[in-house]
Amino acid sequence: MKILVVDDFSTMRRIVKNLLRELGFTNLDEADDGQTAWPKLKAGGYDFLVTDWNMPGMTGIELLKTVRANPETANMPVLMVTAEQKREQIIEAAQAGVNGYIIKPFTAATLKEKIDKIFARSAG
Amino acid sequence: MQDESDRLELLVKAKQLVESIEAKNDARTDELLSAMSVDRERGLFKEVGHLTRQLHDNLSSFALDEQLIDLTGKEIPDAKERLNYVIEMTDDAAHKTLNAIDEILPVTTEMQQKSELLSKNWKRFLSRELSLGEFKDMSGEISQFLEYSCVNMKVLNDKTNEIVLAQGYQDLTGQIIRKVITLVQSVEDSLVDLVRISGSPEEGDSSSKKAEKGVLEGPVVPGVVVEGSVNSQDEVDDLLSSLGF
Repeated sequence: MKILVVDDFSTMRRIVKNLLRELGFTNLDEADDGQTAWPKLKAGGYDFLVTDWNMPGMTGIELLKTVRANPETANMPVLMVTAEQKREQIIEAAQAGVNGYIIKPFTAATLKEKIDKIFARSAG
Repeated sequence: MQDESDRLELLVKAKQLVESIEAKNDARTDELLSAMSVDRERGLFKEVGHLTRQLHDNLSSFALDEQLIDLTGKEIPDAKERLNYVIEMTDDAAHKTLNAIDEILPVTTEMQQKSELLSKNWKRFLSRELSLGEFKDMSGEISQFLEYSCVNMKVLNDKTNEIVLAQGYQDLTGQIIRKVITLVQSVEDSLVDLVRISGSPEEGDSSSKKAEKGVLEGPVVPGVVVEGSVNSQDEVDDLLSSLGF
Protein backbone atom coordinates (compact mmCIF):
# COMPACT_ATOMS: atom_id res chain seq x y z
CA MET A 1 0.00 0.00 0.00
CA LYS A 2 1.64 3.23 -1.17
CA ILE A 3 0.31 6.46 0.32
CA LEU A 4 0.84 10.04 -0.81
CA VAL A 5 0.65 12.70 1.93
CA VAL A 6 0.02 16.25 0.66
CA ASP A 7 0.32 19.30 2.91
CA ASP A 8 2.09 22.63 2.49
CA PHE A 9 3.43 22.53 6.08
CA SER A 10 6.33 20.12 6.38
CA THR A 11 5.69 19.58 10.11
CA MET A 12 2.16 18.37 9.36
CA ARG A 13 3.47 16.04 6.63
CA ARG A 14 5.89 14.57 9.15
CA ILE A 15 3.15 14.16 11.75
CA VAL A 16 0.78 12.43 9.34
CA LYS A 17 3.59 10.21 8.04
CA ASN A 18 4.63 9.30 11.59
CA LEU A 19 1.09 8.38 12.51
CA LEU A 20 0.61 6.36 9.34
CA ARG A 21 3.87 4.52 10.02
CA GLU A 22 2.59 3.81 13.51
CA LEU A 23 -0.54 2.32 11.92
CA GLY A 24 1.64 -0.01 9.88
CA PHE A 25 1.88 1.88 6.60
CA THR A 26 5.50 2.12 5.60
CA ASN A 27 5.40 2.97 1.92
CA LEU A 28 4.89 6.73 2.20
CA ASP A 29 5.60 9.61 -0.10
CA GLU A 30 4.86 13.32 0.23
CA ALA A 31 4.14 16.46 -1.79
CA ASP A 32 3.73 20.07 -0.70
CA ASP A 33 0.68 21.02 -2.76
CA GLY A 34 -1.67 19.77 -5.47
CA GLN A 35 0.62 20.92 -8.23
CA THR A 36 3.49 18.71 -7.12
CA ALA A 37 1.16 15.90 -6.03
CA TRP A 38 -0.74 15.49 -9.26
CA PRO A 39 2.20 14.46 -11.51
CA LYS A 40 3.12 11.82 -8.92
CA LEU A 41 -0.42 10.47 -8.73
CA LYS A 42 -0.75 10.52 -12.50
CA ALA A 43 2.46 8.55 -12.88
CA GLY A 44 0.74 5.83 -10.86
CA GLY A 45 1.70 3.43 -8.10
CA TYR A 46 -0.28 5.11 -5.29
CA ASP A 47 -3.16 3.42 -3.49
CA PHE A 48 -4.29 6.12 -1.13
CA LEU A 49 -4.17 9.92 -0.95
CA VAL A 50 -4.15 11.99 2.25
CA THR A 51 -4.41 15.71 1.51
CA ASP A 52 -4.79 19.09 3.16
CA TRP A 53 -7.22 21.61 1.65
CA ASN A 54 -5.64 25.05 1.93
CA MET A 55 -2.42 25.01 -0.05
CA PRO A 56 -0.79 27.45 -2.45
CA GLY A 57 -0.63 26.54 -6.11
CA MET A 58 -3.27 23.85 -6.26
CA THR A 59 -5.60 23.31 -3.30
CA GLY A 60 -6.68 19.95 -1.94
CA ILE A 61 -10.21 20.27 -3.29
CA GLU A 62 -8.86 20.96 -6.77
CA LEU A 63 -6.56 17.97 -6.43
CA LEU A 64 -9.50 15.80 -5.32
CA LYS A 65 -11.57 16.93 -8.31
CA THR A 66 -8.64 16.28 -10.65
CA VAL A 67 -8.14 12.81 -9.17
CA ARG A 68 -11.82 11.98 -9.61
CA ALA A 69 -11.93 13.34 -13.15
CA ASN A 70 -9.09 11.13 -14.30
CA PRO A 71 -9.94 7.50 -15.18
CA GLU A 72 -6.67 6.06 -13.81
CA THR A 73 -7.08 7.71 -10.40
CA ALA A 74 -10.88 8.08 -10.20
CA ASN A 75 -11.30 5.22 -7.72
CA MET A 76 -8.43 6.10 -5.41
CA PRO A 77 -9.52 6.58 -1.78
CA VAL A 78 -8.94 10.17 -0.66
CA LEU A 79 -8.81 11.34 2.95
CA MET A 80 -8.89 15.06 3.61
CA VAL A 81 -7.08 16.34 6.71
CA THR A 82 -7.68 20.06 7.02
CA ALA A 83 -8.34 23.05 9.27
CA GLU A 84 -11.27 24.06 7.04
CA GLN A 85 -14.45 23.37 8.95
CA LYS A 86 -17.23 25.27 7.24
CA ARG A 87 -20.27 23.16 6.53
CA GLU A 88 -20.40 24.22 2.91
CA GLN A 89 -16.80 23.15 2.44
CA ILE A 90 -17.36 19.73 4.00
CA ILE A 91 -20.38 19.32 1.71
CA GLU A 92 -18.32 20.45 -1.27
CA ALA A 93 -15.65 17.85 -0.45
CA ALA A 94 -18.32 15.17 -0.05
CA GLN A 95 -19.84 16.08 -3.39
CA ALA A 96 -16.40 16.00 -5.00
CA GLY A 97 -16.09 12.42 -3.78
CA VAL A 98 -13.92 12.54 -0.68
CA ASN A 99 -13.79 9.28 1.32
CA GLY A 100 -13.04 10.77 4.72
CA TYR A 101 -12.76 14.22 6.29
CA ILE A 102 -10.69 15.00 9.37
CA ILE A 103 -10.39 18.44 10.93
CA LYS A 104 -7.16 19.66 12.50
CA PRO A 105 -6.06 19.36 15.21
CA PHE A 106 -6.81 15.64 15.20
CA THR A 107 -5.81 12.60 17.22
CA ALA A 108 -4.08 9.40 16.21
CA ALA A 109 -7.29 7.54 17.09
CA THR A 110 -9.36 9.67 14.68
CA LEU A 111 -6.90 9.03 11.87
CA LYS A 112 -6.97 5.30 12.53
CA GLU A 113 -10.76 5.22 12.71
CA LYS A 114 -11.21 7.04 9.40
CA ILE A 115 -8.61 4.95 7.59
CA ASP A 116 -10.11 1.71 8.91
CA LYS A 117 -13.51 2.87 7.74
CA ILE A 118 -12.26 3.75 4.27
CA PHE A 119 -10.57 0.40 3.78
CA ALA A 120 -13.40 -1.59 5.33
CA ARG A 121 -15.70 0.02 2.79
CA SER A 122 -13.41 -0.42 -0.19
CA ALA A 123 -12.82 -4.06 0.77
CA GLY A 124 -16.53 -4.74 1.19
CA MET B 1 -12.74 86.28 -0.12
CA GLN B 2 -15.26 88.83 -1.20
CA ASP B 3 -16.51 88.96 -4.72
CA GLU B 4 -16.94 92.05 -6.98
CA SER B 5 -20.51 92.96 -5.85
CA ASP B 6 -19.48 92.76 -2.19
CA ARG B 7 -16.59 95.03 -3.01
CA LEU B 8 -18.83 97.60 -4.78
CA GLU B 9 -21.29 97.53 -1.88
CA LEU B 10 -18.44 98.12 0.54
CA LEU B 11 -17.18 101.03 -1.59
CA VAL B 12 -20.64 102.66 -1.57
CA LYS B 13 -20.80 102.30 2.22
CA ALA B 14 -17.29 103.69 2.62
CA LYS B 15 -18.17 106.76 0.53
CA GLN B 16 -21.30 107.29 2.63
CA LEU B 17 -19.15 107.00 5.76
CA VAL B 18 -16.65 109.61 4.48
CA GLU B 19 -19.53 111.94 3.57
CA SER B 20 -21.15 111.61 6.99
CA ILE B 21 -17.81 112.21 8.78
CA GLU B 22 -17.17 115.33 6.64
CA ALA B 23 -20.74 116.50 7.38
CA LYS B 24 -19.98 115.94 11.09
CA ASN B 25 -23.14 113.81 11.30
CA ASP B 26 -22.04 111.63 14.26
CA ALA B 27 -25.24 109.67 14.57
CA ARG B 28 -25.15 108.72 10.90
CA THR B 29 -21.43 107.78 11.18
CA ASP B 30 -22.10 105.44 14.10
CA GLU B 31 -24.98 103.85 12.23
CA LEU B 32 -22.85 103.24 9.14
CA LEU B 33 -19.93 101.84 11.16
CA SER B 34 -22.06 99.30 13.01
CA ALA B 35 -23.75 98.23 9.76
CA MET B 36 -20.28 97.55 8.30
CA SER B 37 -19.14 95.48 11.29
CA VAL B 38 -22.32 93.38 11.10
CA ASP B 39 -21.45 92.62 7.46
CA ARG B 40 -17.96 91.65 8.52
CA GLU B 41 -19.28 89.23 11.16
CA ARG B 42 -21.70 87.72 8.69
CA GLY B 43 -18.76 86.91 6.38
CA LEU B 44 -16.96 85.23 9.25
CA PHE B 45 -20.01 83.11 10.09
CA LYS B 46 -20.27 82.09 6.44
CA GLU B 47 -16.66 80.91 6.48
CA VAL B 48 -17.14 78.97 9.74
CA GLY B 49 -20.27 77.38 8.25
CA HIS B 50 -18.32 76.37 5.18
CA LEU B 51 -15.54 74.76 7.25
CA THR B 52 -18.11 72.93 9.41
CA ARG B 53 -19.76 71.47 6.32
CA GLN B 54 -16.42 70.33 4.94
CA LEU B 55 -15.55 68.63 8.25
CA HIS B 56 -18.93 66.93 8.33
CA ASP B 57 -18.49 65.68 4.75
CA ASN B 58 -15.07 64.31 5.55
CA LEU B 59 -16.34 62.52 8.63
CA SER B 60 -19.21 61.03 6.61
CA SER B 61 -16.82 59.76 3.98
CA PHE B 62 -14.81 58.03 6.72
CA ALA B 63 -17.97 56.41 7.96
CA LEU B 64 -18.87 55.34 4.44
CA ASP B 65 -15.62 53.48 4.05
CA GLU B 66 -17.03 50.03 4.86
CA GLN B 67 -13.67 48.39 4.69
CA LEU B 68 -12.41 50.57 7.50
CA ILE B 69 -15.47 49.85 9.64
CA ASP B 70 -15.03 46.18 9.04
CA LEU B 71 -11.35 46.36 9.93
CA THR B 72 -11.74 48.31 13.14
CA GLY B 73 -15.00 46.75 14.26
CA LYS B 74 -14.39 43.13 13.44
CA GLU B 75 -11.13 42.19 11.79
CA ILE B 76 -8.76 43.74 14.32
CA PRO B 77 -10.56 42.32 17.38
CA ASP B 78 -10.62 39.00 15.53
CA ALA B 79 -6.90 39.29 14.87
CA LYS B 80 -6.31 39.83 18.57
CA GLU B 81 -8.30 36.67 19.30
CA ARG B 82 -6.33 34.84 16.65
CA LEU B 83 -2.97 35.90 18.04
CA ASN B 84 -4.07 35.03 21.56
CA TYR B 85 -5.04 31.63 20.24
CA VAL B 86 -1.57 31.27 18.73
CA ILE B 87 -0.08 31.92 22.17
CA GLU B 88 -2.49 29.40 23.68
CA MET B 89 -1.66 26.75 21.09
CA THR B 90 2.09 27.16 21.35
CA ASP B 91 1.77 27.11 25.14
CA ASP B 92 -0.35 23.99 24.99
CA ALA B 93 2.04 22.24 22.60
CA ALA B 94 5.06 23.15 24.73
CA HIS B 95 3.36 21.76 27.85
CA LYS B 96 2.20 18.60 26.13
CA THR B 97 5.75 18.02 24.92
CA LEU B 98 7.33 18.76 28.30
CA ASN B 99 4.76 16.62 30.12
CA ALA B 100 5.48 13.71 27.83
CA ILE B 101 9.21 14.17 28.41
CA ASP B 102 8.59 14.31 32.18
CA GLU B 103 7.04 10.88 31.87
CA ILE B 104 9.69 9.53 29.54
CA LEU B 105 12.81 10.58 31.47
CA PRO B 106 12.22 8.62 34.73
CA VAL B 107 11.50 5.54 32.64
CA THR B 108 14.69 5.83 30.60
CA THR B 109 16.75 6.60 33.73
CA GLU B 110 15.39 3.56 35.53
CA MET B 111 15.89 1.33 32.50
CA GLN B 112 19.44 2.55 32.20
CA GLN B 113 20.22 1.83 35.87
CA LYS B 114 18.66 -1.64 35.69
CA SER B 115 20.43 -2.57 32.49
CA GLU B 116 23.76 -1.39 33.89
CA LEU B 117 23.32 -3.58 36.94
CA LEU B 118 22.25 -6.55 34.86
CA SER B 119 25.08 -6.15 32.44
CA LYS B 120 27.58 -6.04 35.34
CA ASN B 121 26.18 -9.29 36.75
CA TRP B 122 26.03 -10.82 33.30
CA LYS B 123 29.73 -10.12 32.78
CA ARG B 124 30.47 -11.74 36.15
CA PHE B 125 28.39 -14.74 35.08
CA LEU B 126 30.32 -15.02 31.81
CA SER B 127 33.63 -15.01 33.70
CA ARG B 128 32.15 -17.64 36.06
CA GLU B 129 32.29 -15.41 39.12
CA LEU B 130 28.65 -15.91 40.03
CA SER B 131 27.53 -18.35 42.72
CA LEU B 132 24.45 -20.48 42.10
CA GLY B 133 22.40 -18.34 44.48
CA GLU B 134 23.48 -15.14 42.72
CA PHE B 135 22.72 -16.71 39.34
CA LYS B 136 19.19 -17.55 40.46
CA ASP B 137 18.73 -13.97 41.63
CA MET B 138 20.02 -12.67 38.33
CA SER B 139 17.74 -14.83 36.20
CA GLY B 140 14.82 -13.56 38.27
CA GLU B 141 16.00 -10.01 37.63
CA ILE B 142 16.32 -10.71 33.91
CA SER B 143 12.74 -11.98 33.66
CA GLN B 144 11.53 -8.96 35.58
CA PHE B 145 13.59 -6.64 33.41
CA LEU B 146 12.19 -8.10 30.21
CA GLU B 147 8.60 -7.74 31.40
CA TYR B 148 9.38 -4.27 32.61
CA SER B 149 10.86 -3.27 29.25
CA CYS B 150 7.80 -4.48 27.35
CA VAL B 151 5.59 -2.20 29.46
CA ASN B 152 8.02 0.69 29.41
CA MET B 153 8.70 0.55 25.71
CA LYS B 154 4.96 0.90 25.20
CA VAL B 155 4.98 4.00 27.45
CA LEU B 156 7.94 5.45 25.54
CA ASN B 157 6.22 4.76 22.26
CA ASP B 158 2.94 6.37 23.32
CA LYS B 159 4.64 9.42 24.81
CA THR B 160 6.82 9.88 21.76
CA ASN B 161 3.72 9.83 19.58
CA GLU B 162 2.12 12.43 21.84
CA ILE B 163 5.13 14.64 21.22
CA VAL B 164 4.85 14.10 17.48
CA LEU B 165 1.17 15.00 17.49
CA ALA B 166 1.74 18.10 19.61
CA GLN B 167 3.83 19.54 16.76
CA GLY B 168 0.62 20.09 14.80
CA TYR B 169 0.49 23.55 16.33
CA GLN B 170 3.11 24.68 13.81
CA ASP B 171 0.77 24.19 10.84
CA LEU B 172 -2.27 25.68 12.57
CA THR B 173 -0.53 28.71 14.06
CA GLY B 174 1.22 29.24 10.73
CA GLN B 175 -2.13 29.45 8.97
CA ILE B 176 -3.50 31.85 11.59
CA ILE B 177 -0.46 34.11 11.45
CA ARG B 178 -0.63 34.22 7.66
CA LYS B 179 -4.20 35.50 7.99
CA VAL B 180 -3.11 38.20 10.44
CA ILE B 181 -0.33 39.24 8.05
CA THR B 182 -2.96 39.64 5.33
CA LEU B 183 -5.00 41.75 7.75
CA VAL B 184 -2.04 43.98 8.58
CA GLN B 185 -1.57 44.47 4.84
CA SER B 186 -5.20 45.54 4.42
CA VAL B 187 -4.97 47.91 7.40
CA GLU B 188 -2.00 49.47 5.69
CA ASP B 189 -3.93 49.79 2.43
CA SER B 190 -6.87 51.35 4.27
CA LEU B 191 -4.67 53.88 5.99
CA VAL B 192 -3.23 54.85 2.63
CA ASP B 193 -6.82 55.20 1.34
CA LEU B 194 -7.70 57.31 4.36
CA VAL B 195 -4.83 59.67 3.72
CA ARG B 196 -6.01 59.95 0.13
CA ILE B 197 -9.62 60.60 1.20
CA SER B 198 -8.71 63.33 3.65
CA GLY B 199 -6.58 64.99 0.98
CA SER B 200 -9.40 65.16 -1.57
CA PRO B 201 -12.81 63.87 -0.51
CA GLU B 202 -14.13 63.11 -4.02
CA GLU B 203 -11.45 60.52 -4.81
CA GLY B 204 -12.37 58.28 -1.90
CA ASP B 205 -14.57 55.74 -3.65
CA SER B 206 -14.29 52.29 -2.20
CA SER B 207 -13.21 50.45 -5.32
CA SER B 208 -10.84 48.32 -3.28
CA LYS B 209 -13.59 46.23 -1.71
CA LYS B 210 -12.47 42.92 -0.33
CA ALA B 211 -14.40 39.85 0.83
CA GLU B 212 -14.08 37.81 -2.32
CA LYS B 213 -16.03 34.63 -2.27
CA GLY B 214 -14.27 31.36 -1.82
CA VAL B 215 -11.67 32.64 0.64
CA LEU B 216 -10.60 29.79 2.90
CA GLU B 217 -11.24 30.41 6.58
CA GLY B 218 -8.42 28.33 7.99
CA PRO B 219 -8.38 27.06 11.58
CA VAL B 220 -11.37 27.92 13.72
CA VAL B 221 -10.30 30.18 16.58
CA PRO B 222 -12.21 30.17 19.89
CA GLY B 223 -14.03 33.50 20.24
CA VAL B 224 -13.99 34.21 16.51
CA VAL B 225 -17.35 33.20 15.14
CA VAL B 226 -17.36 31.99 11.56
CA GLU B 227 -20.84 31.41 10.26
CA GLY B 228 -21.64 27.91 9.13
CA SER B 229 -18.68 26.23 10.79
CA VAL B 230 -18.66 22.92 12.59
CA ASN B 231 -16.91 22.73 15.95
CA SER B 232 -15.72 19.18 16.25
CA GLN B 233 -14.85 16.01 14.38
CA ASP B 234 -18.15 14.55 15.63
CA GLU B 235 -20.05 17.30 13.85
CA VAL B 236 -18.09 16.59 10.67
CA ASP B 237 -18.98 12.91 10.97
CA ASP B 238 -22.66 13.72 11.59
CA LEU B 239 -22.76 16.05 8.61
CA LEU B 240 -21.13 13.46 6.35
CA SER B 241 -23.39 10.67 7.54
CA SER B 242 -26.40 12.89 6.86
CA LEU B 243 -25.06 13.07 3.30
CA GLY B 244 -25.00 9.30 3.07
CA PHE B 245 -21.41 8.66 4.15
